[in-house]
Amino acid sequence: MGFLDKLRHREKPRRVVLIGLDGTPYTFMQRLIAEGRAPNAARLVQQGSLLRMDSVWPWVSSVAWSTMMTGVNPARHGIFGFIDRDPASGKQFIPTARNMKAPTLWEVLSAAGKRVIVVNVPVTYPPRPVNGILVGCFLSPSLEKAVYPESFLPTLKSLGYIVDADPWKARQSKDLALQEVNAVLEARIRTLFHLFDNEEWDYLHLHIMETDRLHHFLWQQMEEGHPTYAPAFYDFYRRIDDMLGQLAAKLDDRTTLMWMADHGFCTVKKEVYVNRWLMDNGWLRLRTIPPDRQKGLDEVDPASVAYSLDPGRVFLRVRGREKDGCVAPGAEYEALRAEIAAAALELRDPDDGAPVFQAAFRREELYHGPYLEQAADLILAPYDGYDPKGPLYKETLTFKGDELVGMHTYDDAMLYIGGQTIPQTRFSVLNVMPTILSLMGVPPPPGLDGTSLV
Amino acid sequence: MEQKGVTVWFTGLSGSGKTALALRLEEELRRRGLKVERLDGDIVRQGLTRDLGFSREDRDKNIERVTFVAKLLTRNGVAVLCSFISPYRAVRARSRQEIGHFVEVYCYAPLETLIERDVKGLYKKAIAGEIPNFTGISDPYEPPENPEVTIDSSRETIEESLGKVLRKLEELGYVPPATREETPYTADEEAQVEARLAALGYL
Repeated sequence: MGFLDKLRHREKPRRVVLIGLDGTPYTFMQRLIAEGRAPNAARLVQQGSLLRMDSVWPWVSSVAWSTMMTGVNPARHGIFGFIDRDPASGKQFIPTARNMKAPTLWEVLSAAGKRVIVVNVPVTYPPRPVNGILVGCFLSPSLEKAVYPESFLPTLKSLGYIVDADPWKARQSKDLALQEVNAVLEARIRTLFHLFDNEEWDYLHLHIMETDRLHHFLWQQMEEGHPTYAPAFYDFYRRIDDMLGQLAAKLDDRTTLMWMADHGFCTVKKEVYVNRWLMDNGWLRLRTIPPDRQKGLDEVDPASVAYSLDPGRVFLRVRGREKDGCVAPGAEYEALRAEIAAAALELRDPDDGAPVFQAAFRREELYHGPYLEQAADLILAPYDGYDPKGPLYKETLTFKGDELVGMHTYDDAMLYIGGQTIPQTRFSVLNVMPTILSLMGVPPPPGLDGTSLV
Repeated sequence: MEQKGVTVWFTGLSGSGKTALALRLEEELRRRGLKVERLDGDIVRQGLTRDLGFSREDRDKNIERVTFVAKLLTRNGVAVLCSFISPYRAVRARSRQEIGHFVEVYCYAPLETLIERDVKGLYKKAIAGEIPNFTGISDPYEPPENPEVTIDSSRETIEESLGKVLRKLEELGYVPPATREETPYTADEEAQVEARLAALGYL
């Protein structure tokens, strides 16, 4: 870089605005563009790179976004799912930002003197201090507790900001689901443009959770071309496309527009109850049949050797690690793990004989780092369409419902970077943080697992 | 962290919300354990500057004395909240220069709103010609060109306005950002978030 260039860069610190589209598949975005349903995205893709990206195993938003925001794998950031357990007590808990062990992108940027605004990214509750504003995610129990600093709360309230769509309402009917996600989306967009125009920022990140919610409740209807719900689905995306166009029109030459999705989506063929499968094979016994919703692992009989948490995480009841653990570490542990892994790969859909799991990863195959011990012993990776679930007790192995009709996929996440020509290679959410740091000219902290794409 | 002194200077027409906002800010800063003093037009004119009237010259003297006091307090680490109509740009600029650590808050509301509000009944009297040199009616007001914060009390709640001032003070390093230190969830809240996760199929 020449002297004048350096001077120019110093005068104009580079900014990034990133829109998180939770669970919007790369292939779906390409189809919207091809079918003329996303004219703004189509134009922007001509001026940048739209790339297919891998998620993380398991591909739930909490793990994927934690990986995105820290640039390190789960055994180094400590978030393995939406629910976790304390092995010693068997108590379950909801991992929050307090459990996240690695510094986040916005904390690194803050330390470099950049002003950041981060809204609604999963696992940012409770808000950790930044140089700027942080509004916690849907794990926030209330707006009051979600906001850092507190002084931003009145503005957020005046914008009619909503923490999250009500998922129970959304389960009641598809119409209510649409109503919920559309209302929350509008509030988020309103907040985005308010922040864009009225606040100082170098990094502005708005996370849209409603894409994921819409997909969970209506993906199948969209795929099947339902006469009412498919058009409503596309209308929702039209609104997102409008927002991207409006945002792009506001950008100056020092600001890079990005958008990304943390995983893909597909229609649920069947939910698969992993604990039922463990029971059917004699690895799990329950003391009593627990009530509908799982509350801790109290019902697990001490003679059990394994149990599972959502999605497809299998824990062995290791002696010295788990409460009343009975599996001896070492050879016994390895033999049992191999046995369960092999059986998982043999598991077939009882109706059509299709295989359910494409892989059964031992944790050390996926993760490395100081918190590996907290990880499940096996992570079962399903074929698209088989959605592994975590309830402790279910009557049947599989179930096809009509409320939650969409599920996540691994290899169809998405990353868009404006103004950059980047060849498509195989990469994952691990690469996002170092890429953003590089775009903003901030050196990455040592030891990230991912590297910059630019 | 040792408190860094600052003067927050609320300027604007009578009834635009200067005192109300300064009072709310005082309360909030005290809650955060900061040292605060409030200098208010209506109060200092009963003591410190009771000998002065409302001619241009007297108005200047009024602000000059207040500025002197604010400067002493500011350099001793106090947050000084000054609410004065202080209609002249040049005079406010002098105060800014004199005090150094100075945050100007322009309290705005459309004149029609102020006349309608007329909390102290002053506009009515001024329009009737009973009060000479009344800013906004019979005397000019020069709005700030680059205030650190502008609030519009006809469009925002006092809490929103307070948020804007606090955020600027936090941004400039005069006030440490407040954050909640309680546990992430009470039992009720945890049950509520669990229910949300259950509705989404994660439990």
